[in-house]
This record gives sequence, structure tokens and C-alpha cells, in this order.
Amino acid sequence: MPDDYWSFSRGSVIEMKLVDISKILEAKVCSGEEKLNDLEIERVGAADMMSDVLAFAKPGMLLITGLNTPQVVRTASIVGISTVVIVRKKQIPEETIQAAKMFGIPLLHSPLPMYTACGVLYTNNLKDIRSF
Amino acid sequence: MKPTVDKLIDQMQMLFKDLVAKDLMAPNVISISPDRTMEQAKELMRLKKISGLPVVENDILVGLVSIEDIIKALERHTIHDPIYKIMTKNLIVVSPDENLPQIFDKFTRTGFGRFPVVDNQKRLVGILTKEDILRGILEEFRLLYVRDKRRQDVIDGEALNRSLITGEEINKLGADFAFSIDYVEISLSGIGAARLKEFLKGRGIEEEIARKVAIATYEAETNVVIHSGSSGNIYCFLYPEYVRVRVEDHGKGIEDLDKAMQEGYSTATDQIREMGFGAGMGISNMHRYSDKMVIVSEIGKGVIVEMQFFLKDTANGS
Repeated sequence: MPDDYWSFSRGSVIEMKLVDISKILEAKVCSGEEKLNDLEIERVGAADMMSDVLAFAKPGMLLITGLNTPQVVRTASIVGISTVVIVRKKQIPEETIQAAKMFGIPLLHSPLPMYTACGVLYTNNLKDIRSF
Repeated sequence: MKPTVDKLIDQMQMLFKDLVAKDLMAPNVISISPDRTMEQAKELMRLKKISGLPVVENDILVGLVSIEDIIKALERHTIHDPIYKIMTKNLIVVSPDENLPQIFDKFTRTGFGRFPVVDNQKRLVGILTKEDILRGILEEFRLLYVRDKRRQDVIDGEALNRSLITGEEINKLGADFAFSIDYVEISLSGIGAARLKEFLKGRGIEEEIARKVAIATYEAETNVVIHSGSSGNIYCFLYPEYVRVRVEDHGKGIEDLDKAMQEGYSTATDQIREMGFGAGMGISNMHRYSDKMVIVSEIGKGVIVEMQFFLKDTANGS
């Protein structure tokens, strides 16, 4: 059993700096560059249904999504999601990036498929949306 | 009466699926010990006007005596026998954490009228009848479903200027926040809710409350854009104890409110689903995040959603 496992199961808080997350997701930072070194992420969720996000998101979490519309950013702002990572899509519309800047939400663009992006963060011991 | 109760519970069970047995059950159950006689059981049931009696030994549930058992005992002249000889021992029980759909499933499968609730040490902690479930739902009552004449009054008449929840008069021109949903582009949906959130935070409303209001309003706003085929309005009123939000449209109305309230049901098109909406979560999300909610709809005349959010945890039991 790796050492990490035990610290994880003891419920200690594991956070990861956004800058490190952007590196392991091989992501381009589209907005929120200034928060990269300060923002620490503890929880992650992934969804393409905005209503699921509205229903289950935890404040402060990082959202992985395949949607690239400005709506994603607006939804993030409403539920208090701290960071949005758009995966897989080739292009992110300019209006989405503008919305992210307006709401002050870091927006990352990762070339990884959603499953992989989730897997990478999961194996780094970031929590999901359930409380424990 | 019974089929109505069943139908009501059936319609409501998905909306209230977070309710669990321990919230619904009647605690402090009247019970009897197995070495008493059937005669004593009969007297206890008669005095307490109950139709089933759990049999308990050292806190552990060991059986159940029903009216039927009493009648049989009378017919067979075994009424003076001790209970343990006659009681039903094969019990189907409910655990305190089973949720409403699971409980309802047991009612339907067995046809029984009541279930003892026992914890994992087989201790009797409560009893659960369909009436308890209905009462639990009513106590939980956050969502009032108006399908009667009041609906007509609301859509057509003066009630349009009254709160659907409290009945008091509301002046929409004097709303603390107003936003006109005058677009049909689904990609714009949420603008009103985002502005409302900013407004609330500007007024010093706690982030957590502002978030709940914004999420529920977002869903209502999105429904106007996706489903109404018309424009709509968001009004928000601030009161010392709560925030009230009213979202109105003049569109085509909800065809089947029963279905619309079911989680996962949606009439949204594929195009809308591609945008991440139409998951059939709208009304359940509004319900999840508001403390009180009323929806009124008339086909061809629109939908009014009114929601109330308590500023402190003043809502009973929530």
C-alpha cells in the first residue's frame, strides 16, 4: 500500500495547486493566469449536463467538461465552481473565454479525453464531490 | 380512499426520494411482550385504536399481532393463549435508512399496511404506515402542486399579484430585482440568474444563500427559454427573513406537470441536450435548492414559479 493511501484514508485534506493541475493535464490556460499559483483545488467533478452541475457541484471544485459554450462558465459562476477545464474540444469559442475573464474563473483547455483527465486527477488523490 | 393514497404516494415518491424511514416513521411505538395473552393484545389495540401491535422482548422485535390474528384467535378459542404462540413471526421490516422509493416498493410488493422499523440490532425503533408516509411528505411540504381552480385565478385574475406561497400582495413594479428574459437563444440562458446572484451578494446576502437562489433561478430561467416559446420575467423580493423569487412566462404552459416533476423527464430537443440541458432535472433542482416552491401552469397561458429561500435556517426540519 502506498504511503499516500493512508494519509488519504485518514481524511487529511489533499489539495493541488492549479499550476500543477494545468501541467499534468497538459492544459493551455485560457483565462485566470494570475490565479494559477494561488488557487488550490481539493475537489473535482466531471459532467456534460449543466443541470447535473447545478444539482451536484460543490463550491470551490474544479469542473471537467466536454462542453465549450459560454454557458459552462456562467453555470460555474452560479454554483461557485473555481475552475473549468474543457477537454477534448479542438476550439474554445472566444465568447467562452471572454465570459471566463468576466467572471474571473480560470479556464483551462486540455487535449486529454475526459476519462483520462479524470483518471489523472483521481490518481493524484483529489477528492470527488461526495463529502468524506 | 386507499387507491388515492397509493396514487398520491406514487406520484410523490420520486420528488421526496431523499426522505428515509427514520424521518417518516412514528417513533415511540406501542408494543407488547410475547408472554402476554392475545386477550391483552386485543384490549391494548382496542384502547389505543391501533390495528397492529409489534411484539417486543428486551427491545428486540420478535413478532407482530394484527387484527386478523385477533379474529382468528377468537374463532379458534385461543384468545387466552400467550402471544408468542400465535403472533406472526416472519416479519418484513424496514431499516431506518431505507428511502421512500424502497419503502414504497415494499408496500406494493407485499400489500401490507404497515412495517416495523428496526435498526441493525433488530431493535424496534418505529412503525411506518402509508398514512405516516403521506404525513411525512406533507410535513416536508416544500412543493405545493396547484391543479385546481386556484390555478385559473392565478393565471387570469388578481391572484397574479399575490404570492402563491403566502397569499400576500406583491408589487412586481416594486421588486428589488427584475430581469426580463427576452431572448430565445439557449446559449444566453443563465444571464438573469448570474445577475441576480451578483445583486444578492451586493445586498450582503450570504454566498451560500445567493448560490441556492441563483441555481434555482437558473433552472427556471432555462425552462422559460427552452420550453415557453415566449418571453418571461424574473422578479426578486428581499424580506428580512427570506428571499422570494418569481419567474413568470406567458408561453405554452406545462402539458403534464406530473411528468415534468419527475427527475429525468424532459421534452427538450436533442439540440438543447447537446447544450447540456434537458436532463429533466430542472424542477427537481428548483425543489432541491428552494425552501418553498409553488408552480402554477395553464396550457397556453404560461407558467409561474415562485420560490422562497430562508435567510437563516428557519425552515422547519430542513
